[in-house]
Amino acid sequence: MSVIQLRDVVKRYNTEAETIEALKNVDFYANRGEMVVVTGPSGSGKSTMLNMIGLLDTPTTGEIFLDGRNITDFDEDERTEERRSQLGFVFQDFHLLPMLTAEENVELPSMWDTDVDRRERASDLLERVGLGDRLTHTPDELSGGQQQRVAIARSLINEPDILLADEPTGNLDQDTGKTVLDEITRLKQEENIAVVSITHDEQLVEYADRVVRIVDGVVQ
Amino acid sequence: MAWRNLGRNRTRTALAVLGIVVGVIAIASLGMAGVALEQQATSSLGGLTDQATISPGEDIDTDGITDAQAETIRDLLPGVTVIPQKTNFTELSARNGEEANVQVTGLTNPAPLYDLSVGTEPTRLETGALISESTAQTLGLEIGDPIEYEGQLFRIRGFIASQSGFGSDGGGELVLPLSALNQQDDYNSVTIIAEDGDAATEAATTIEEHFNEDDDEVLSVTTYASVQENISSFTDTLELALLGIGSISLFVASVAILNVMLMSTIERRGEIGVLRAVGVRRGEILRMILTEAAFLGVVGGLVGAAGSLVVGVVMFNVLAGDPALALAWSSSRYLLYGFIFALVASILSGIYPAWKAANKSPVDALRGS
Repeated sequence: MSVIQLRDVVKRYNTEAETIEALKNVDFYANRGEMVVVTGPSGSGKSTMLNMIGLLDTPTTGEIFLDGRNITDFDEDERTEERRSQLGFVFQDFHLLPMLTAEENVELPSMWDTDVDRRERASDLLERVGLGDRLTHTPDELSGGQQQRVAIARSLINEPDILLADEPTGNLDQDTGKTVLDEITRLKQEENIAVVSITHDEQLVEYADRVVRIVDGVVQ
Repeated sequence: MAWRNLGRNRTRTALAVLGIVVGVIAIASLGMAGVALEQQATSSLGGLTDQATISPGEDIDTDGITDAQAETIRDLLPGVTVIPQKTNFTELSARNGEEANVQVTGLTNPAPLYDLSVGTEPTRLETGALISESTAQTLGLEIGDPIEYEGQLFRIRGFIASQSGFGSDGGGELVLPLSALNQQDDYNSVTIIAEDGDAATEAATTIEEHFNEDDDEVLSVTTYASVQENISSFTDTLELALLGIGSISLFVASVAILNVMLMSTIERRGEIGVLRAVGVRRGEILRMILTEAAFLGVVGGLVGAAGSLVVGVVMFNVLAGDPALALAWSSSRYLLYGFIFALVASILSGIYPAWKAANKSPVDALRGS
């Protein structure tokens, strides 16, 4: 069964002048162990769709299923809980907190939990992305590729089912991008998670199990 | 975490803390100044405010206050020193030809009422006499010289120091044992000495309620409470005014905190969006920012309290002559008040930015980064 599913999702934004339909009756799904890459030109609705999948935003009409449960009508706090337990995020510009070490950045999503294992899991994850010797470095002491790998480790701290990546290689050079993508592919198999990534990057498409193309809010 | 967030913009944090420090110092040291002024005023009153004088009223049936009444007064006021006195006037003449009119007071326990410049103060006066220093000088009397009153001789055991402040009439006084005035049956007055001005006022009310019914005035009670009250109400007003000025500076400080927190949450909008996206709860964001504000308050409050203590010690040294008084609860509590005020003000001014940051939708917050 699909771990995440959008059914007939419509998203409208009302501005003063007009109503913009960013997503038009979009259907989408992703399975465990699968990497789905969403491509499309700027303004096509990619980001809006990622926000829907990431439970950051709610559809105007349509339904969202997470692990078979209909979560369309969840309120902000309920969606926060789902994000916390089921989703991991990786952003184009990493978004690590500058005053925290690599290890603390990885712990961040669970920092407020009284879970004693999290430090161990954080160093374990950093080890797995090849940063075992960089635990106490702050982001400004790390290269872009290293920062993105810290961000990947952070996205996995809560053992999610889905990893969402917003242009994960957008700020990286070709080679670094490749290492990061290899890393994601490996973790996808090891952890048996669904990876959904939006990108312009053709390099990323090579790693995809499936490519979804969206133009003007319509899945092609 | 909150602590490190504050460390990211040290100048801004330092300025916010400085604002609180100034506010706390203003509140605490102005409060302490009020206390110091009150203590100085009270001490220059000569400690009279804790006394009350009971004298026979207009409607008394006897010549004075009877033994029985004096006993009742004692019973009514446990813990209060009660000193019944008989008074008279006499003319003393000395061998050198000088004469002096003095007020004769007969009592058993002169210690609480008189300060001696020479001689030791008896708590029970049974044989000797005490005389005003100035009268003794006029008459050429020395310690050990005899004084005659109503045919009896008394040896001078001490000189009464001339009093300053209220309550001294400047005339000479001769203090004798109660037995010397035995031909008077009743007491002319009873002086009571209570713990402080308020207790004296309370004692006076107790006496009046017990002895005087309706419009009958059996005993008349004079206290210095009105003086005390005037001083208290003046210093209270002064304290309020000073605290008001202090509060204004702390208010300014909280606006500074509000600004600092608002700026830093706006600056970190994207970051807060990331936190929200990765599943950090709204309450946790709220707590983080409130903790930052509270940190500002705690640090500013502590530094401010330490600064105020220094100011307080200097002030008490100048106004009351005793720097240690600054540590007494009556004044040091303003340090605590200042600190609490700083903490409360910081948290209050952290609430709005914290609430604003926590309730921003993650999509908007991320887009803004």
